[in-house]
Amino acid sequence: MGLFDKLAGWLGLKKKEVHVLCLGLDNSGKTTIINRLKPSNAQVQDIVPTIGFSIENFKTSGLSFTVFDMSGQGRYRNLWEHYFKEGQAIIFVIDSSDKLRMVVAKEELDTLLNHPDIKHKRIPILFFANKMDIRDALSSVKVSQLLCLENIKDKAWYICASDAVKGEGLQEGVDWLQDQIKAMKT
Amino acid sequence: MLESLRDKSEVALSVKSLRYLLLDPNEMEGYVSLYKMQPIKRQTIITCMATLKKNMADEDAVCCLVIGTESGDMYILDPEAFTVQAKMALPSVPVYLDVTGQYDVEFRITVACRNGNIYILRRESRRPRYCVELGSQPVGLVRVNKNMVVGCAQDTLHCYTQKGKKLWTVFLPAAITTMAGMDHAAKGFQAVMVAMANSQVHVYRDKHLVNIILAQDVVTSLCFGRYGREDGTLIMTTKGGGLLIKILKRTAVFEEKDMSPGPPLAQSIRLNIPKKTKLYVDQTLRERESAVAMHRTFQTDLYRLRLMATRAYARVLEANLAPFSSSLSEPLKMNAVVQGIGPCFKLTLNLQNTSANQPSINLLISFMYDENLYSMERGFFKLPMLVPGLNYPIQTVVDCRSDKGVADTIKVFVLQVGRSSPLLTAHINMPVSEGLVVA
Repeated sequence: MGLFDKLAGWLGLKKKEVHVLCLGLDNSGKTTIINRLKPSNAQVQDIVPTIGFSIENFKTSGLSFTVFDMSGQGRYRNLWEHYFKEGQAIIFVIDSSDKLRMVVAKEELDTLLNHPDIKHKRIPILFFANKMDIRDALSSVKVSQLLCLENIKDKAWYICASDAVKGEGLQEGVDWLQDQIKAMKT
Repeated sequence: MLESLRDKSEVALSVKSLRYLLLDPNEMEGYVSLYKMQPIKRQTIITCMATLKKNMADEDAVCCLVIGTESGDMYILDPEAFTVQAKMALPSVPVYLDVTGQYDVEFRITVACRNGNIYILRRESRRPRYCVELGSQPVGLVRVNKNMVVGCAQDTLHCYTQKGKKLWTVFLPAAITTMAGMDHAAKGFQAVMVAMANSQVHVYRDKHLVNIILAQDVVTSLCFGRYGREDGTLIMTTKGGGLLIKILKRTAVFEEKDMSPGPPLAQSIRLNIPKKTKLYVDQTLRERESAVAMHRTFQTDLYRLRLMATRAYARVLEANLAPFSSSLSEPLKMNAVVQGIGPCFKLTLNLQNTSANQPSINLLISFMYDENLYSMERGFFKLPMLVPGLNYPIQTVVDCRSDKGVADTIKVFVLQVGRSSPLLTAHINMPVSEGLVVA
């Protein structure tokens, strides 16, 4: 880091950069959430299934986020683990209306938590119980029960109900994540 | 005429006609008048159905309906007009169908029938091309690649090729309730799932058991494929009315642990057998063409050999040249042992009287040998009385005179006083004297 960058950092002009992984099953709304978090002039209208992964940037009041928006399709899920090392935080998106595939989400979460790159790292995990707008969607409490989130002892985690289409609940989650990262840095 | 029809009917009859034949004669007229206005139709029942692509292999291409009926016929229906495009006859009632190919190009229908046979129908054939006899009733038919896997009522799973050649058999622990194929294209995994009466579902890749699913109840139907957004989903219904949905783990690996009993793996390894030579092929051809002549020649030679052997034996018996005597008065047996390496040999003759209770007396022994080669203490001596059953060892010493390494035969005769021909004869092949060489 050059002298100018340091100076800018002290003055609060330059924000700290954080790498975040955005994971979850296909069709859970990862890209929609990331799209919503971007400034309104950079948002796209049509969200298509992600192939491989895409890198997105957005800024909050204190941090600059670089998000690895991973594809959730079965055949691309083996790409996730290659980015575990770089991630300083994880956003895990769950389709609350898909009760059938909750087991698949749990399976993927367990694989993620038991991966050697993640297991011993104290990184914050933010869960979005997404698609709350759908009528028979499960509550965030129910989702956390089904995923056995109470068993995560050594990592900070937070679940928040969200509706990415309307943008509800997203800010709450990102604020928590920002606090966690700031707490981690200091 | 009606009576003859009742006894044995050669023609297939409609349900109405059959009912008519069952009636009492006084009810018959009423029955006829009731139904005489309606045309008599012979209706049949569909026993199995499948689809056949018309002219494109795409997943969503137009398909023809293939129908098997209780009357043992197969129909292929046109997808638009629902007219019968092809009709094929089977010797029995079809129960399971498997169809591959396209109607306009080439297709193959594998039919498992109620008579325990599998028939393979091809395009342009009104009758089955191949027939596989199972030995028991089929309870499931699944095609894996080009092979067909058939579940039988005898708790067995057989695999046959397209042409009906049997590849393997697996014995199952319980009766089969249903079978289904498992084709996971993303993993390139193909297997057969077999649900059994013991509430288990076995997954077989080839003949190897790769997984066992334990259900709470007897599984009655199975289906594997895409369900919603998940590619590898297995849906099962149970006898008690339950529905089970299982999703294949992304990280699942099917290992062939070879838990199945049966022939070991080594049996299926192909041996490196060399190609048949031209000589072998010619020989086989010749054997096939003139098998009768070869057999006759062999038999003639065999009879000739037997005759010669019998003649020689008879001559030996007549001349008492054998080392045993079969004459009723003096049944004797003798064997000779030569000991030593020369030039001095010890010759032991073991004599035995084989009669039940008659002792032999007045016996003499005489040796015949080449006097230039051998010398003996006594060339002729008298035997003591031979008691029946006992073994008499008689020892003599033979000296070899030659140092040229030659050997000869010594003949031993057992004679009886007052008879000109010997009772028995033994030829002793003397070993080459090694004594002088050693010395």
